[in-house]
Amino acid sequence: MSQSRDLVSPSRRDVLKGAAATAAVTVAASSALVGSGQSVKAASNVVRGYGVTTSQLKDWSIMEKAIGIKMEFTGTNADIGTFMRDVISNDLGETHDIFIFDGGTEDILGPQGYYSEVIEDHPELSLWARTSDDWKRTDLQQDGSGKQFGVPVIGNADSFGYFPASIGANPNGLDDISWSKMYEDEETKGRVAMDRSWLLSSPEVANYLKHHGRAKIEDVANMTGEEARVVADFAAERKRAGQFRTLHAAFEEQVQLLSTHEIDIINCWEPATKEANNILGPNTVMYAFTVEGYYKWGHGAYVHSKALKRDNVDNIYKVLNYYLSGEYRAYQATQRGYAGPNMDLGVKYAEDNGWPEAQVEELKWTEKKVGKKFEKPFFGKPAAPNADVMEEEWQRFLNA
Amino acid sequence: MLDYSRKDLISDIRAWYTTAFSGNWVVPAFVAVWVVLVILPLVVMVVHSFFEMKNYQVVYDPSFKTWDTLIETGRWTAVTRTLRIVFTVTLIELLVAFPFALWLAKVCQSKATKAVIITLLTIPFFLDPSSRTIIWRAILGNTGIINTVLLELGIISEPIEWMLFSEFAVHFGMLTPYFPTMVFPIFLVVNLIDDDFLEASRDLGASPVHTLWYIILPLALPGIVAGIVFTLVPLMAAWVEPDMLGGGFVNMLGPSVEAAIRNLKYPMAAALSVVVILMLAFLLVMLIVVMRKQGSMGNIFHAMKR
Repeated sequence: MSQSRDLVSPSRRDVLKGAAATAAVTVAASSALVGSGQSVKAASNVVRGYGVTTSQLKDWSIMEKAIGIKMEFTGTNADIGTFMRDVISNDLGETHDIFIFDGGTEDILGPQGYYSEVIEDHPELSLWARTSDDWKRTDLQQDGSGKQFGVPVIGNADSFGYFPASIGANPNGLDDISWSKMYEDEETKGRVAMDRSWLLSSPEVANYLKHHGRAKIEDVANMTGEEARVVADFAAERKRAGQFRTLHAAFEEQVQLLSTHEIDIINCWEPATKEANNILGPNTVMYAFTVEGYYKWGHGAYVHSKALKRDNVDNIYKVLNYYLSGEYRAYQATQRGYAGPNMDLGVKYAEDNGWPEAQVEELKWTEKKVGKKFEKPFFGKPAAPNADVMEEEWQRFLNA
Repeated sequence: MLDYSRKDLISDIRAWYTTAFSGNWVVPAFVAVWVVLVILPLVVMVVHSFFEMKNYQVVYDPSFKTWDTLIETGRWTAVTRTLRIVFTVTLIELLVAFPFALWLAKVCQSKATKAVIITLLTIPFFLDPSSRTIIWRAILGNTGIINTVLLELGIISEPIEWMLFSEFAVHFGMLTPYFPTMVFPIFLVVNLIDDDFLEASRDLGASPVHTLWYIILPLALPGIVAGIVFTLVPLMAAWVEPDMLGGGFVNMLGPSVEAAIRNLKYPMAAALSVVVILMLAFLLVMLIVVMRKQGSMGNIFHAMKR
């Protein structure tokens, strides 16, 4: 591992640091002369995180009260290009300890030495052993060779939001709805919004075609150029047929399209339906259980290899452990509707701390819901080896 | 005494200027700065377009793959679509802005009215592009104000869908923010045209159309050209309107470059940018050719000054 860390090339920041070294030497010498130099810097109780905004607690002071660590978090969206740029080119590992992003980035950033392997027997990571392998030993947290780079934080199986009355579905939202409502239904024609991103939409279309035997695709999350072309051709044909009202690109757009009822059905993040229902009323919009399967994603917490050279590794691991705890799980599920590892601890935390029965039931439902979804095929690989060709083929759909 | 001193000062400045800039270093220095600040980045961009990305990192192995991909994936269609939309919007702006600027400069006599209109025209510059564009969704959408009113009045039975997430919506959204960039240059130039020219034309028996065609238009040409440049060039890179009002169906060069950068496809972004620059260069050459037929810009301004 140490060898792979050495692969991290000198960054612009490193070069600047070198240039600043002379000045630093002068300052240090001055400090030593006046006896104010600190030979050992006291360990900081601040841990700096960078990553997807929705992985945050809405109030980090809850964590500070629980484990005494203050989180300074810089949020970003789910744009993998931006994230990669910030980690690789902008060298955020110099200033940030933990990175939270879609599982899959470790396939690239792990072997290249940006992420460090999880120290599974670290004393502060006490909840690691009881965390289910379903969450931690997956290709979302391990690289291709099985090295463990990520600690699971949150996850979900994504599908689509819909207005039951508009598509003739059971209003309780418990029926399995076919993705054909998204792509080929005359009833929804012109009333569908699809995510512009190849990462989400391309595998979803592929899974639909594969499920119905209309395309031979080995791995819908990592398609070859030929497979991705079939998917793009189908999507382009449906686009020309007028199936889609719009192709959206942001979470805020998802909420707006739902809350104005501009569309009847939309592949989106589950919190978007929650936000829309806050405006339209409870259960106006449902998040689908599907016939064919789901887009699987899971955010992992990754420790930058440079952070291991700093003096707050114990605190970093305390935070990693907190991500596996019942308190984080309970708040995250309540605030965002997302599931995650050790859901049972979340339910227990809510019960032990006297949360209202409705919230406890909601937590239990979140656990059941994810279990029900994971009975179906699920897929998703943000940093798939064939990502380049998949993105290129998806461009043909976008430009059709 | 004051006049004498001022003359002296001007004379001294002129002498210093002549001495300082008469050496052999001026042109080479300008060329050097130009090369470093303008040409070199362009060369780097062109070179970059011949590399490709693999696993979010640039592969420095020159090839035509990025250019092949640009054509194969249909990104090329964004170029033709962009040209079509940009020319259409610029033409509409010109057709609306010219009579408006003419009225504002020569017909509107109230200074207060002029001041109010000019102030109103600057409003788009103060608004964030996203904020001023997103508002149209609430107006043009199926559940927007226009459709709701028309449905309530019984004028339509189904919402008019083409008002949003369409090329119409993108054209419409671009008209307001780019109107001032066309109006202002034309207004300034028309304002400079001496009224005596117009009166002389009328005294000589020319009809208003003749005066417009043979006097005003040629003299207003520098403003028209400036208006076209100030409108057309930023339109080429516009991304807010196609992104927010096109609904993903109106893929233009601006959003394409932005998407390529967001996906860390720097060579593709470079290739698309090269296309933009080539198109702009072509348009610039065309404008120069057109202007040559009318004589130099300086001559026209000289004519306006009499």
